[in-house]
Amino acid sequence: MEKASSRLKVLALFVALMFAALGTRLWFLQVLASEQFRVEADNNQTRVAETDALRGRIKTADGKVLVDNAPSLEVRVDKQVLEASGEADRVLLDLSNLLQIPVKNLRASMNDPKYFDYQPKPVAEFVKENVDKYISERKDQFPGVEVVPTSVRDYPQGREAAHIVGNVGLIQKEQLADPHYRGYGQSDLVGRTGLELQYEKYLRGTKGQQKVIVNAAGDTVKTLGAAPPKPGNDLILTVDSKIQHAVEGELYRGLQNARTQVDEAGGKGLLLKAPAGAAVVMDVKTGGIVAMASYPSFDPRWFVKGITPDQARYLYKSAQAPSVDRAIGLTYKPGSIFKPLVALAALKEGYASTSGYYACPAEWIAPGDTSGAVFTNWSSTDLAPMNVAESLRTSCDTVYYQFGYDFWNGWRRDSFGTNNEPFQRDLRQWGFATPAPVDLPGSQAGVIPDAKFAADHPDIYPDGWIPGGDVLLSIGSGDTLVTPLQMASAYSALANGGHVCRPHVVDKIVDDHGSVVKTVGGHCDTQLPYTPAQLNYVDAALQTVTTSGTASSAFAGFPLSTYPVAGKTGTAERPPFQSTSWFSSFAPANDPRYAVVVMVEQGGYGSQTAAPIARHIYEHLFGLSVSGNVYGGAAD
Amino acid sequence: MDLVAGRYTSQERRPIRHLDLMLVLVTAAIVVAGFFLLYSATKTTLIGENQGQFARVQKQIVTAAIGLVLMLLVMSFDYRFLKVYAGFIYAGMIVTLLLVRIPGIGSTAIGDASAAQRWFAFGGFQVTPSEFVKVGLIVMLAAVLSELRSPIPTLNDVLRVCAIAAVPMGLVFLQPDIGTTIVLLAIVGGMLVVAGTRPRQLAALAVATIVALALAFQLGVIKDYQLARLTGFLDPTADTQTTNYNRNQAEIAVGSGGVLGRGYGAGTQTNLDFVPEQHTDFIFTVAGEEFGFVGSAIFLGFYAILLWRAIRIAYLSKDPFGTYLATGVASMFAIQMFVNVGMVIGIMPITGIPLPFVSYGGSQMLANFVAIGILLNVHMRRFK
Repeated sequence: MEKASSRLKVLALFVALMFAALGTRLWFLQVLASEQFRVEADNNQTRVAETDALRGRIKTADGKVLVDNAPSLEVRVDKQVLEASGEADRVLLDLSNLLQIPVKNLRASMNDPKYFDYQPKPVAEFVKENVDKYISERKDQFPGVEVVPTSVRDYPQGREAAHIVGNVGLIQKEQLADPHYRGYGQSDLVGRTGLELQYEKYLRGTKGQQKVIVNAAGDTVKTLGAAPPKPGNDLILTVDSKIQHAVEGELYRGLQNARTQVDEAGGKGLLLKAPAGAAVVMDVKTGGIVAMASYPSFDPRWFVKGITPDQARYLYKSAQAPSVDRAIGLTYKPGSIFKPLVALAALKEGYASTSGYYACPAEWIAPGDTSGAVFTNWSSTDLAPMNVAESLRTSCDTVYYQFGYDFWNGWRRDSFGTNNEPFQRDLRQWGFATPAPVDLPGSQAGVIPDAKFAADHPDIYPDGWIPGGDVLLSIGSGDTLVTPLQMASAYSALANGGHVCRPHVVDKIVDDHGSVVKTVGGHCDTQLPYTPAQLNYVDAALQTVTTSGTASSAFAGFPLSTYPVAGKTGTAERPPFQSTSWFSSFAPANDPRYAVVVMVEQGGYGSQTAAPIARHIYEHLFGLSVSGNVYGGAAD
Repeated sequence: MDLVAGRYTSQERRPIRHLDLMLVLVTAAIVVAGFFLLYSATKTTLIGENQGQFARVQKQIVTAAIGLVLMLLVMSFDYRFLKVYAGFIYAGMIVTLLLVRIPGIGSTAIGDASAAQRWFAFGGFQVTPSEFVKVGLIVMLAAVLSELRSPIPTLNDVLRVCAIAAVPMGLVFLQPDIGTTIVLLAIVGGMLVVAGTRPRQLAALAVATIVALALAFQLGVIKDYQLARLTGFLDPTADTQTTNYNRNQAEIAVGSGGVLGRGYGAGTQTNLDFVPEQHTDFIFTVAGEEFGFVGSAIFLGFYAILLWRAIRIAYLSKDPFGTYLATGVASMFAIQMFVNVGMVIGIMPITGIPLPFVSYGGSQMLANFVAIGILLNVHMRRFK
């Protein structure tokens, strides 16, 4: 067998190659790639069952619960189990009769792509307890069907503070991919707007987890550990439920009343439209928002069951877009409520002094301007020269045109050096042209126009930054845009000696045992560069607005001697629409506590629509008897 | 040479003096290691089914004991008698393969995709004839090849061998038992190589086999699930949940074992039933997961020693019949070990070949003991 021995070597070689192949592969699997397989083996055997945590509640400063949790019984269908039973059609028909939901809709819910196939899918919420009982007692008749207690948002105060609290909704696809939402599941609810969104990480709580080892069939073999769910933290607001309720009511009443009145600022004899408005009440010492209302509003309860197409159209597509919080989310021309701030800038830069007198003609033309641009006062007759206080009381525009022109002149000559826009810089310091740092989403920045703005908008400013820019800015007009909340912040600073506070809705965050997790307010660090004398001068002038100035009719009969109100009316022209009506104020002027800002879209004169609403709000704030509708008169 | 031979001749009467102890020990090692692997693979399931956790190991031990007796029986007579009775063995083999196809006599698990084999039911035991066909074919081919006139097989000889092999192979293939068919092919191939078949003829045979297989697939002789397992091997990422579930779970099990393994009884893939067919075709996953690379290498080392001894016996035998018997047995063990482990670790398609001495199953155990008995017999009587 000499030949055979060499052929046996061939056989031996084959066998050796076999072992080489197996050894190489084993080396790869067990030495090189082992870690990855270990992870897969662990994933294979461990499952985590989660229980949702109760979401934190939202309470007002006076202890009213704005947002709570309510139990809901939810019917869920495990599609895979149902289909494996072979009775899917019969079960769905029974379920349809029981729930009064068409089979078609049940099928649609079961095929909802929001859920993974192995997840039981909700087909009905808020079912009656007898449905639960019926299904539980006939488990074998309803394979794959379960009734699960869940929790939904509940709003004990109804529509109150709807814009502030916001709403929750099912997490969206993009959010699941967002690292901020790591750890969220496919069917989790998240804050979509308002405080629900802003404080999501506090409200959310921690899900309960039960880690189990399962075998290949998915049966639990062993429980590794269980952590009960930890409820989310509660938000305690600076908002006072009583005041919030009153402010919403007064805003609504004021708008209704305005619609019965003629638009005197427009001068065409048409009734005011007053379709929308906002009001802010701020604690001047802390920046805490005591009340903030936006009209039109909505009912947060709509979102609990999912909004209908009609509600969606109303919220997002209708002309007034009720979903928008007008106090922070839209910007408006401020008009004359800007004048106290302009006056302070002029006093500081020396264009005005407390002892000086300034011309108040009916018309004003920039010195040397031959283009024919004429800037008019609200009065068609020349008024006698007046001091700054008087210019605030009567709201003389032409006095401020000159201040604006002086600022422009200084800028043109570059007499201010590198930081050559003290006018804009001073105005921005009040918190304008930057989103109010409030703890709510959607805060808008607004505009304080300057040379750069002109350069960025050649369509509006073909010749660059011309005098008209500063002239119109001096009366809060032109391209100036602010939010009502920014105004409330600014008037709070005017009241508290020049400290701009960070506005906030939440006072503190507490855990489920009531201990404080975080305090939100207390940032009043910005100090404005005005002397106490300058601030006191302007404050005193603003008090005369309600006693004898543009808002005196609106405040007729109000106990101003006990609760002096320092305020300013504003009427911002907004052609082709009716003017925006403003009243921006604080009180009591001798010991300021609240700043109140009211803005009404297409509300005409500030004195006519906004000032009376503010007056009623003060009546609520100071516990006075609330007067009937007052006529505020036609004054800028 | 004569002197040396003379000295050994004096001992020829007591063949037991020439027992290949190494082969006995390594076989024992594999069988005993198999008990431990089987216990780990079946313990959880048996407890879950409210059976004794040792139920399957006990049955396997009983089978091994019967196998041991069969082995001793095969060793007790001179293996050359097998040559005399090769024709009867062959004929009996064909008859059983035909009988097992008759319903009522032979059984098959209809609808059970993993059990393609057919068997006879004897009391509590299932006897799968195709396992014994492997050994029977080795004996028949060894008898034929050892009687060839020319030192190198002529074309006629090769065709005769192929015709003899084709009958049982075809019957097994039609069961359809692709795994055993592959083993039979390897036996024929291995024995033809050692017989000195010309490379050109071997190549022609290989081509003919591939064409025949392709034809069989085309004609629909092969069931869909078998085709799916074979094609799944080519594209392992396709459809994890069904076709490739087995191989992925097996790879996870072996891979997660790492270098030193997760410890005996501590493999999660094993204990939680993630690997299907874990006590039969996929039993190597237990070795891979619980004993790691080191354990797997030692375990495969046992097979390497076994194959070394088998080839060595083929080499030592002075008798062509003995050489061919040992060659056939070596080919059989090599292909089974390679295809089984290769399928578990993902380098061979899933074909349902048991791991010799280790997979749960009586017939393979008995047939393999008979094969070892033949090897020992050839070794003991190699000088005659």
